[in-house]
Amino acid sequence: MKTYNKLFILVVLIVFSGCNDAIDIDQPGRLPTEEAFKNLADLQDGLTGLYGLYDTTSEIQFNAVFTDEVSIGFDSGGQGIGNGEYGFVLNPNSAAANTIWASNYAVINFANRIIEASEIITVETGEQEDVNHILGQAYALRAYSHFQIQSYFTTDYTDDTALGGILLDFIPEIDVDTDQSRPRSTNGAVFGLITADLDLAENLLAIESDPIYVSQDFVTALRARMAAYRSQYAQADTYAAELLAKYPIADRSEYEAMYLDEDNTEIIFKLERTLSDNYNGQGSTGSGFAGGWAGANFAFIDATITGSPYFEMGRSVFNLINSEDIRFDVNIDGTSIISDDYQNAADYRNEDILVISKYPGSEGQPLMNDLKVFRSSEMLFIRAEAAASTGNINGNTNSTAAYIKQLRDARFGEDQSLPSYASQTEAFGAILDERRIELVFEGHRYKDLKRLGALGNRGISRDPLDCEVNGACSLEVSDYRFTNPIPIIELTPNTVIDEQQNPGY
Amino acid sequence: MTTKSFWLAVVLCTCIFTTALAQEKNISGTITDQSGLPLPGVSVVISGTSNGTQTDFEGNYSITGNVGQVLRFSYIGQTTVQRTIGSSTTINVQMEDDAEALQEVVVQGYRTSTKEKSSIASVTISSETITSRPNANFAQTLSGQVAGLNITTSSGQPGGNTNINLRGVGSVNGNTEPLFIIDGAPVDEDNFRSLNSNDIASISVLKDAGATAIYGNRGANGVVIIKTRTGSFNQDTKISYTAQLSFNSLQNNDYDLMNAQEQLTLERDFGNGRGVGLTDAEIAASPDFDWVDFFFDTGLTQSHTLNITSGGENVNVFTSLGYFDQEGILQSSGLKRFNIRNNISGKSANDRFKYTSNFSINYSESDEPNNIGGSGINRNYVLGAYQSVPYITPDDYTNGEALLSPLSFANTPLFLLDRLLTYTREEAELKIIGSFNASYNLTDDIKASITLSGDFTDEHLLSAEGPTSFNALLFGGGANPTSGVQNQFVTRTFNYNQVLSLNYLKTIGKHTIDFGLYSEYFKAHYRFFGFTENGLNPKTFYPGDGDGFVSDNGDNDFFVDVASADILNAGLFSYFGQLDYDFDTRLGITGTIRRDASSRFSSSNRWGTFWSVAGRWNISNESFMEDSVFDVLKLRGSYGTTGNQNIVDATGQFAPFAAADLYLDLFTTGTGYAGLNSIIPAQLGNPILKWEEIEQANIGLDFEIFNRRLRGSIDGYIKTTKDLFQDTPLSAINGQTELEANVGSLENKGIDLTLNYNLLQGGADGINISIGLNGNYNKQENLEIPTEDGTIVEVGSLTGRQVGGPLNEYFVYRYSRVNPENGNLLFLTTDGEETEDPNVDTDRVWLGKNIYPDYQGGFTFDLDYKGFFLSTQFNYVIGVDRYDFDLSGFQDPTSIGQFRHSSDILRAWTPDNTVTDIASLTASNLSLIGNSDRYLTSADYLRLRFVQVGYSIPPKVLENTWFTNIRLFANAENLVTFSEWRGFDAETVLSTGSREYPSPRIYSFGLEFGF
Repeated sequence: MKTYNKLFILVVLIVFSGCNDAIDIDQPGRLPTEEAFKNLADLQDGLTGLYGLYDTTSEIQFNAVFTDEVSIGFDSGGQGIGNGEYGFVLNPNSAAANTIWASNYAVINFANRIIEASEIITVETGEQEDVNHILGQAYALRAYSHFQIQSYFTTDYTDDTALGGILLDFIPEIDVDTDQSRPRSTNGAVFGLITADLDLAENLLAIESDPIYVSQDFVTALRARMAAYRSQYAQADTYAAELLAKYPIADRSEYEAMYLDEDNTEIIFKLERTLSDNYNGQGSTGSGFAGGWAGANFAFIDATITGSPYFEMGRSVFNLINSEDIRFDVNIDGTSIISDDYQNAADYRNEDILVISKYPGSEGQPLMNDLKVFRSSEMLFIRAEAAASTGNINGNTNSTAAYIKQLRDARFGEDQSLPSYASQTEAFGAILDERRIELVFEGHRYKDLKRLGALGNRGISRDPLDCEVNGACSLEVSDYRFTNPIPIIELTPNTVIDEQQNPGY
Repeated sequence: MTTKSFWLAVVLCTCIFTTALAQEKNISGTITDQSGLPLPGVSVVISGTSNGTQTDFEGNYSITGNVGQVLRFSYIGQTTVQRTIGSSTTINVQMEDDAEALQEVVVQGYRTSTKEKSSIASVTISSETITSRPNANFAQTLSGQVAGLNITTSSGQPGGNTNINLRGVGSVNGNTEPLFIIDGAPVDEDNFRSLNSNDIASISVLKDAGATAIYGNRGANGVVIIKTRTGSFNQDTKISYTAQLSFNSLQNNDYDLMNAQEQLTLERDFGNGRGVGLTDAEIAASPDFDWVDFFFDTGLTQSHTLNITSGGENVNVFTSLGYFDQEGILQSSGLKRFNIRNNISGKSANDRFKYTSNFSINYSESDEPNNIGGSGINRNYVLGAYQSVPYITPDDYTNGEALLSPLSFANTPLFLLDRLLTYTREEAELKIIGSFNASYNLTDDIKASITLSGDFTDEHLLSAEGPTSFNALLFGGGANPTSGVQNQFVTRTFNYNQVLSLNYLKTIGKHTIDFGLYSEYFKAHYRFFGFTENGLNPKTFYPGDGDGFVSDNGDNDFFVDVASADILNAGLFSYFGQLDYDFDTRLGITGTIRRDASSRFSSSNRWGTFWSVAGRWNISNESFMEDSVFDVLKLRGSYGTTGNQNIVDATGQFAPFAAADLYLDLFTTGTGYAGLNSIIPAQLGNPILKWEEIEQANIGLDFEIFNRRLRGSIDGYIKTTKDLFQDTPLSAINGQTELEANVGSLENKGIDLTLNYNLLQGGADGINISIGLNGNYNKQENLEIPTEDGTIVEVGSLTGRQVGGPLNEYFVYRYSRVNPENGNLLFLTTDGEETEDPNVDTDRVWLGKNIYPDYQGGFTFDLDYKGFFLSTQFNYVIGVDRYDFDLSGFQDPTSIGQFRHSSDILRAWTPDNTVTDIASLTASNLSLIGNSDRYLTSADYLRLRFVQVGYSIPPKVLENTWFTNIRLFANAENLVTFSEWRGFDAETVLSTGSREYPSPRIYSFGLEFGF
C-alpha cells in the first residue's frame, strides 16, 4: 500500500509541479495599448512620436534620382544604376513608392490613434487648450500625409473624380481571417478630408508660427500648395500672399545660413534633425528607402569632393545656374572640379565633379540637416503660377515675370532684369526652370513636371554625357511613370486595390 | 506470485536467516564466460552488504560470507547471476552473454531500446567518426554522415554557425533546425564553438514523428541527442591523450582574375582608373600584388585533449581537458577555447538507485570580424581580398588620415588594411552545461527518474574602432577628431530544464510493456547590458579599456554615450505519456501523447497537443524466415505530429527569447522628434497566434544480409507543416505592413537511404574494406500561401514562393544572350521572345530552382590492414542553384578603375567580336542584369570532404611499455571539390550572397596515445 501512496504522490508531482511560472510570463518594460495614454503628458509624448515618424528623405531621393537633378558620381559604387532608379525604372517594387506609401500611412494611422486617445485621457482643469493644440497638430499632420499620398499616387491633381489614396480617418481593425480590402477613394473625397482636417486644425491650434512644429501658418502653407496643385489658383494666391506678408524672401546671407540650419527667415516649416534623434545615421544609401541624413542621399561621408559623392549635380541643372547666384554657392561645393569644356573632356567622370552641398551638415555632423518642407520662395512661385494661369505673365507687378524677378533679385543680391515671356507656355516653362534651381534636392521636381510640364513644355532632361551610362536621357511628362504605382506592399494584402492600379503598371 | 508477495517473501527469508544463523565461511570459485574462458574483473558482492571483491586474471575469487546470503556476480555485457551460499565452499559460475546488453542500444528520447525493438527512424553515429576531425564546430563533422541531415556551412569563421536541416526545410519564418540535447540538457543549436567534440561518445539523430513526438514542443525539425563519454564501473584508471596540428588554407577559385598589368591595360582601354594614359612600359613597371593572399593566409590549428577514466565498485568518472586554438584563414579571425568536463556515474550497491552527473565548463575567445558579406569597402575584409585592384600594394599605406583625401574607391584594400590595424572585435564566452540524472527503482517494475539540466552562457562582446582609424576620421570629420567608438556588451542566458518521470516495465511471457509518464519544465532567462562609448582619446585608447573615453561636453552631442539593457524570459511546460508494447520481439507498437504550453502564445492558444503512433514487424524473427539470407529484416511505420513555437528564426543565445509576446498590441517609449521623449506604436499583436504543427508519416525497412555484411535501411516520408508562421501582408493603413500569423502549409517528402557493405573481411591480420552510402531525396512544395494569387515576392527580392513551388524559388526574368547587333544584353519575355528591355513585373518567371538540394548525402570507403587505416568520405549535393554575385562583380565594366576584374571581360562584345557571352562594356542595359538569371549558377558539387590515413601500433609491440595504444594519423578536409561553381567555396545556404568567408581546406596531423 505504501508503494502506491508514494506512486500517487509522485504522479501528482509530475503532473502539477510548478507549471504556471513557466508559461505565464510578462516581459518587463512592455507598454500595452490601454496603458499608453493616460494624461496630457502622455498625449504630448505621443505627438512627439508622431513627428518622429515623419520623414521626407525618400521623397528627396526619388525626386533627385528619378528626374534630372543628379548624375552618377565619380565615386559611385553602382548607386542608382544597380536598382535602375536612375534609368526611369519605376514599378510596384520600387523603393520610393513603397516607402512614401507606407510611411505616410504610418503617420496617418498614428495620428488617428492620438486623436482617439485625446478622448480617453484624463484632462485636468486648464489643460484643454494644450490638448486642443496637440489635436490640431495631429489633424494637420494627417492632412499633410494624405496630401503626400495624393501627390504621388493620383493620376491627375485637378480631376476630383480620379482615384486618389485610401481615405483613412479611423483606426482600422486587424483580423487576419477576414478580407482587409480597402479601395482607393476619389480625389474629391480625399481632398475633402484634407480640407476638413485643416479647418479643424486651424481652430484647434494655439500657435501661429513655429519653424519646427505645426502651426496655423503650416495649415495655410499646405492649403496654398494644395490649391496650386489642384489649379485652384485664386485660393492659392490668397494663401501664398498671406504667408509672404509674414515670411519674406531671404537675402543672400540668410539664404546660405538657412541651409546650415542657422536661419529661419524663409522657413514656414521644416523637420528638425538633430544628433540625438533617430535619424542621425547614414540611412539606406543609393536607394529610395533613404532615411537617415538627407545628404547621405548623395554622398557617403560629407558634402565635399573627399566625402565620396556617389551622386553629383546633374550637368543640365548645373548649366542653368549662374555662378553669381547664391544658389550656386549653396548647391555646389567649393571643392568641386568644374570643367570649362566638359563636353570635350577626355575623362568626363573624373574631370567634371559637381559636388552637391545643399545638405552640408549641421551641429558638426556632416550631411545632417533639417528637412525643409514649406519655404516662402515656394509661396512666391505659387503666386507666379497663379499669375501665369490668368495670363498676367509680364509686367512690373503681380505678374509671373515680376515674381521671378523678385526672387532673382534676392538670390543675386542686386537688381536683375525683368524677364519677358512670349507666351503662357514660356511663362510656365520659366517657372519650372526657376523652381528647378530654387527647390533642387528638396523633393519637388517630379511633382512640378507632372503638373506643369505640359503647360510649360518641359520634361525630364539630362545632359547627354550624364546619360551615356544607361541611355536614359529624357522622359516626356505624358509618360505613365509620372504617377507612382500603388506599391507591392499594398497590392498584396489589399486585393481590391489591385484592380485600381494606376495605368501603365 | 504477485510482485508484492514476492517482495514480502524475500524480506521474510532474509530476516529469518540473518537472525537464526550466523555461521561464517570462506567461499571461493572460478568465473568463466560463455565459452568457458576465465573472466577477470567480475564483481562479486554479497547482496544487501557492502562486502565484495573481484575476480583475478584467472577468474578466481574468494570471499567470506554466511550460509544463506546471496552472492551476486555481475560483469558488463553478461547476465547478472545470483547464488545462495549453501553448504559448499566452492561456487563456480559460467556467465552468459547478456543478449540485450550486447545489442546496439538505440536512443529513443527519454528511454533507450535495442535496435531490434525500436520502431523509430533514427541513426546513431559513434565517436570514431567525430573525434580527430579538426572542425571547431562538431556539427560540421556530421555533414554527409546521416541520410536526410543536410548540414551547410556558410562561413569559414572558426567555430562559426552551420545551418542544419533534417529532411528539408520545414518552416518559412520559424526556426528550422533540430533540437540538440546533450546529456539531457537542451542546448543552443547555433553555438557549438565552445564544445569539445572529442568528448562526444555518440550522436543520435531522431527523424520520424514516432521518435520526435515525445519532444512535442521542440521536436518538429528532428532531434539530435548527444551523449558524452563516461567511465565504466570496476575499471582501472586509463589516461589517453590526443594532439592534432592543422593547416587551414583557402580553397581554389576559377575566376581567372587579372594581375596588375592586365588590370591597368583594361583600364587604359576602357578609359577609367589609374591605367588611363599609361604607356606600355609604365604598365609593365607597375607593382603586382594579390590581395587574396594578403587578407587570406594559412592558419594554424592546434588541439589537445586529455581524457582520464576510472571506475570503482559504485562510481565511475570521466574527466576531460581540452585546449583548441584555431587561426582562421581570414585575417583577424580565430578561436581559442579551453574545456574541462567531469562525468560521474554512480549507483547503490543493490543497483536500485543510479545517478549520473555531467558537468562541463567551456571558455572560448573568438576574433570575429563583422560586416562579412557586406558591400562596405571600408568594412568587409573579404571584399578587399576579392575585389582590390592588384596595382595597389600594402606599401601604399601610411596611415588612416592619408587615405581621406583623395578618397578613391580603388584604395579599398588600404581602407581595409587600416581597419585590420585599428579595429578590434572579440567575443569571449563562458558556457557551462550541467545535467543531473537520477533514477530509483521503486519496485522491480517501476522506476522514478529525474533529469535536471542547465545551460549557462555568458558572452562578452568587445568591438572598438580606434580614434586614429580611417573610418573614425572619415565619419567624424574635422569637427570631431576623437570620434572612435567602443562597444561592450554582456549577454547572459540561463536555460533550465527539468524532466520528472515514472516508468513501468514488465515482461510477461512473450509480452513486454513499457509505460512512462512524464512532465517537463523549461525556463529561460536572458539578461543583456552594455554601452557604446562615443569618443576615444588616441593618447590613451586601448581596446576594452576606459582610459581613453571622452566625456560629453556642452558644445555638442558627439560624446553622448548610449547605455542599453534588456531582460527577457521564456518558458514551456509539458506533460506526456508513452506506451510501448512488444510481442516476442516480432511485433511492436509505440504510442505517445503530449500536451505542451508555451509562454509565447496568449493564454487561450497556449496549449498544443501532439501525438504519434509507431509500429514494427521484425520479419526476420518469424519462423518462416529461419533459412533466409536475412539476418535482420524489419518493417517500420509511424505517423504523428510535433509542434514548433519558434515563431521567428532567431539564432544563438537570443533564440529562446525572440518573438516573446507577438500576441500583444504594444506601444513603447523612446527618443522621438528633436531628440525628445516620445511614445510610439511598437507592435500590432496577433492574439490568435498559435503552434506551428508538423505532421509526418514515415515508412521504413531495416535489413542486414549475408551474415551482416550488407546492412542498410530505407525510409520514405511525407512531412506537412500546417499553420505555418508567415509574414502575412497587411495593408499599410494599419501602420505596419506585415503581421506574423499562422497561415498556409508546406510539404516535404522524400527518401532516406543508408547502405553499408563489408567488401573484404580479412580479420585482424588481413585486409578489411568497407564501403558506405547514404543519401536523401527531398521534394518541397508550398501547399498554401496567404495571398489571393498564391504567390509572395518580397520587394526587391530575387526569390519568392508560389503554390506548388519550393521555398525561396528564384523568380526573375531569363537571360538569353548578348545581342550580336549592338552588344546589349538580351533577355526573354514570359513568352520566350527576346527583348533588351524586359518588364520586371510581367516578364519574371518561376524557375523551379532554389538553394536547397534535391539530392544530398555522402559515401565512404574505409580500409584497414594490420594497423594501417584509410578512411574517406565524399559529400555530394545535387539541385542547388545560387547566384554568383562575386562573378558578376568581376565582369562588371562599371567598376573598371575601382575594382579587380576577371579575364572574362576581355571577351566583351565589340563590333569585331559579335558572338560572345560578355556584353559590350558600354551596353545600355547592364543595370537590368541584376534582376535576371544571368548569374544564377548550379552549385552542385562532389567533394572529398574528409580523408584520413593512419597507423595504430600493434598492441604486441606495446606490451612492455607504459602505453596501451598509440595511433598516428593525417587528415585532409575539403581536399578536392568537383563543381561548376567558380568561386572559392560551393557550399552555402545564401542564395544571393557574395563576398562571404569561404570554408577552408584543412590538412592535419595527429597523435593519440593511452596509458
